[in-house]
Amino acid sequence: MAGDPRMIQIGDLSCRTLDIPDLIIPPGSTALIGPNGSGKTTLLRLLAGLISPDRGTITIGGSVPGSCRVGFVNEYPDRNALFSRVADEIAAPLRFARFPCTEVSRKAEACAEDAGLSHLINRRLHTLSGGEKALVALLAATIHRPDVLILDEFDSHLDEQTLDAAEQVIRASGPGYIVRCTQNMDVAGRSGTVIALFDGRIRVSGRPGEVFSRLADTCYVPFGWGVLR
Amino acid sequence: MKLILEQVRETRGDWQFSADATFLPGIHLVTGRVGSGKSTLAGIAAGMLSPGSGRVLREGISSGTLSLQYPEYHVTGATLAKEAASYGVSPEGALENAGLSGRGEDDPFILSRGELKRFHLSCLSLRRWDLLVLDEPFSALDCRGKKRECERIPALSSGIVLVCTHEQQHLPRTDFLWEMRDGNLHALGKVPDALPFWQTAPKTVRTLVSQGCVPANLTDRDLEEALCRMRD
Repeated sequence: MAGDPRMIQIGDLSCRTLDIPDLIIPPGSTALIGPNGSGKTTLLRLLAGLISPDRGTITIGGSVPGSCRVGFVNEYPDRNALFSRVADEIAAPLRFARFPCTEVSRKAEACAEDAGLSHLINRRLHTLSGGEKALVALLAATIHRPDVLILDEFDSHLDEQTLDAAEQVIRASGPGYIVRCTQNMDVAGRSGTVIALFDGRIRVSGRPGEVFSRLADTCYVPFGWGVLR
Repeated sequence: MKLILEQVRETRGDWQFSADATFLPGIHLVTGRVGSGKSTLAGIAAGMLSPGSGRVLREGISSGTLSLQYPEYHVTGATLAKEAASYGVSPEGALENAGLSGRGEDDPFILSRGELKRFHLSCLSLRRWDLLVLDEPFSALDCRGKKRECERIPALSSGIVLVCTHEQQHLPRTDFLWEMRDGNLHALGKVPDALPFWQTAPKTVRTLVSQGCVPANLTDRDLEEALCRMRD
């Protein structure tokens, strides 16, 4: 598996407090869990190509981060925003990719409609609630169908029903890799792979059940894990 | 001590907010879907937003504050020590409570959002408030931080505490339950009697209630106890 070009492969990685000698992330959905300050955001930013490691290598499907199409939702959704109007913010990736103007508008409107956010399309971003800002950031991140979708605690802004709707948007955008960090262990449990980071190091990674079993003496498990199992 | 929202109305385009409510001392949990009006309620209750119509009466409330959803909005200091001082609290105490001892000269923006949230809540906790409005206090905190805040919230105020959140897993001991539905504030009642009427209840609570194992309250311990009853 180590040479499989379909994987995200990390070797001898060092960046700030993060220290990962070796890690392989398969395609699909992956959740990073762990305490605040454990390096989750740093790893996500490395995968998005937003920062470079002090040492080591990362390849995504055989390419370096940044050379593939990346959708990124910041843990501070406001910091990603470039435009003041929701429609412009959602459409921005298509405009930057030089899509024809009529196609940009049509796709942005369709994107908002599919997500049930048509009522927000002409609103100013600063008038939105925190959850609505996160949803707009998600639409902007997915409208150009990214190869890699990076979500930094995106779900912490959303209620359960809205999160379910957002998951449909994520799946429909079809990224080969979805890597998110989350403090919602139910969300982590629905991922194909879970990676637990503590103090910049990987304590355990694998299928959700395997990881939660290893973390059973911590609170980084779904509610009721210790009671029902 | 009372916080009264008397026929409070606010309109933004097609969206309308409506609240008629009296908040007595205790912990009030306010939930609702994204965009339902929780943050608007928080702003109005704390006096940060003026409603389009209606009155907000604060009887016997001499101190109050609003904790915003995004902790970075609170930052005014170039260092954590200066930031703590801007709250009128001891930097050493605030840093220690947040698990950030020795980092007083750090720029607040080099912290992760969870760390910054923890630090902000730590600063708030070193003062006493008659009215404390917490907008998504658990957002970005890890599970240890959420548990710590759930335990700390009851000690933050002997007055009125509004906790506006969609947190699903870790909640504080709650006296009164409210729900925002499409811009309208609904009083569901006291916990646990209100739990069957809670439309945006966490899945665990919904499951427990549907199985007839109503938890005594919403803390981890209460839910685990009810879960054990259901299992047995």
